[in-house]
Amino acid sequence: MRGELTLIELKRVSKSYNNCAQPAVANLSLQVNRGEFVFLVGPSGAGKSTLIKLVFREQTPSSGQITFEGRDLSRLKQKELLRHRRRIGMVFQDYRLLKQKTVYENVAFALEVIGRPAKEIRRKVPAALAEVGLTGKEKAFPAELSGGEQQRVGIARAIVKDPLIVLADEPTGNLDRNNALQLMELFETINRSGTTVIIATHAWDLVDRMKKRVVAMENGCLIRDEQRGSYGNEHVST
Amino acid sequence: MLIRNWLHYIREAFSSVYRNGWMSFASIGVVAVTLFILGSFILLNINVEYIAEDVKQQVEIVAFVEESLAADEVDLLRVSLIRMEKVEEVRFVSREDALERLKEEFGPLVEGFEGRERNPLRDSFEIRAIIPEDIPALAKEVAELPGIARVDYGRGVVEQLFSITGVVRLIGIAFMIGLALTAMFLIANTIKLTVNARAKEIMIMKYVGATEWFVRWPFLIEGVLLGFFGALLPTVLLMLVYSEAVAWTSLNLHFLPLVSPGMVIMELAQLLLVLGTVIGGIGSLVSMRRFLKV
Ligand SMILES: Nc1ncnc2c1ncn2[C@@H]1O[C@H](COP(=O)(O)OP(=O)(O)O)[C@@H](O)[C@H]1O
Ligand SMILES: [Mg+2]
Repeated sequence: MRGELTLIELKRVSKSYNNCAQPAVANLSLQVNRGEFVFLVGPSGAGKSTLIKLVFREQTPSSGQITFEGRDLSRLKQKELLRHRRRIGMVFQDYRLLKQKTVYENVAFALEVIGRPAKEIRRKVPAALAEVGLTGKEKAFPAELSGGEQQRVGIARAIVKDPLIVLADEPTGNLDRNNALQLMELFETINRSGTTVIIATHAWDLVDRMKKRVVAMENGCLIRDEQRGSYGNEHVST
Repeated sequence: MLIRNWLHYIREAFSSVYRNGWMSFASIGVVAVTLFILGSFILLNINVEYIAEDVKQQVEIVAFVEESLAADEVDLLRVSLIRMEKVEEVRFVSREDALERLKEEFGPLVEGFEGRERNPLRDSFEIRAIIPEDIPALAKEVAELPGIARVDYGRGVVEQLFSITGVVRLIGIAFMIGLALTAMFLIANTIKLTVNARAKEIMIMKYVGATEWFVRWPFLIEGVLLGFFGALLPTVLLMLVYSEAVAWTSLNLHFLPLVSPGMVIMELAQLLLVLGTVIGGIGSLVSMRRFLKV
């Protein structure tokens, strides 16, 4: 299975909330390979967050099948579910840092929670902070950091456990253009080391600039899937 | 799992108890009141039974002999009493002996009744039953024997004593269950506060792949701590109060036999601490069942 190229495969996946007539994700098929960098774009309400939650298995599809490394996600037992989630690094628009913990503690938390040995934590946390460019800020509290720096902590927390994939939902949504650009470059660096990256975003100019695979959604449907694509002209005005 | 995790759980639990301030205080208070009342009931119950046992030992039937009976007839009567199935011991008390006893108790008040003609008392038998509960039935049988004028036993006292322990126990149990449920409910609500206050942290734990029990342990420990602290106060208080009570009673009400503190207090303490812990644990599990689905 290691050698297999496909990491995630969605087969005709639909997801409706509360039996709502209009599904959040509709009959969507998609394949993501190991090591890919994918932008997930589309207007608000298109179903991007839902898709990410489906991959994290925070939600389960109403119909269709999602496989991760060939394993059917709706068949995971409790233990396998935890193992699955531990291989995914999540990054959120609102950072989701613990404000009473320092930068170092926030990152270490991700390893403590999954029971990694102290020795490993002491080695990996500084490395992750170095990778996101936060060396020297270990003792700071989130409130003492800029938005861009806080999101770097969030990214360090996502990558410290060496995930197979990073799922980022609007990671630059709260940041100015300059910070956003730097973060996108950071994601690119992470991706170059072999980690698969999927980013849901509105930042059309950055998407256009990065020349990565773009998956566009609207009303829960996949409307476009291009290698080295752009955000799409229909949304440039927003 | 790892010691580090346990340190983490315990640290989190203590800081929650502290942070929830008044709710923690209220939970601990209710557990304390509950267990204080429970402990008091238990001590009361043990002592009522102990006293009842003691009184039962002393309860006996007094059968007065007809005055016309001759000495050899009295002896025959004594033999037939001893042969009765339920009888443990028969003692003959002559009217002279009875008068002596009265004199010992009341002194000068009974002066002047000495001498066979003046003594108003009768010869009697004091009969003890093998089983104290048989006394009413045995008294009836004895009364029917020829030569017995009248039979006496602590009628009301005996029956009351036999029923009072049961009643005390029933009321106590009903009351306790109510209080214990209240305590659990309060603890559940206190834990809910913590869960809400830390909803974000819990969510983050889930996102980084924490096990359900990694999330749960701190809350469970918090509940256990509340229950344990709640039990500590009444345990110490009851130990002190009971020791004092027993000391005081033995000085001032020496006819009242109480169970000595050494015989009950350690077991009572264990029971209360375990109960407090269990109440706390159940309280927090109740609140988690609904709030912490991963
Ligand atoms: N938890 C939920 N319960 C009910 N409806 C939801 C929920 N999450 C999302 N939706 C609905 O699903 C649709 C897609 O939402 P979402 O996946 O958040 O889109 P996007 O991230 O692209 O903005 C929207 O119509 C939204 O209202
Ligand atoms: Mg969204």
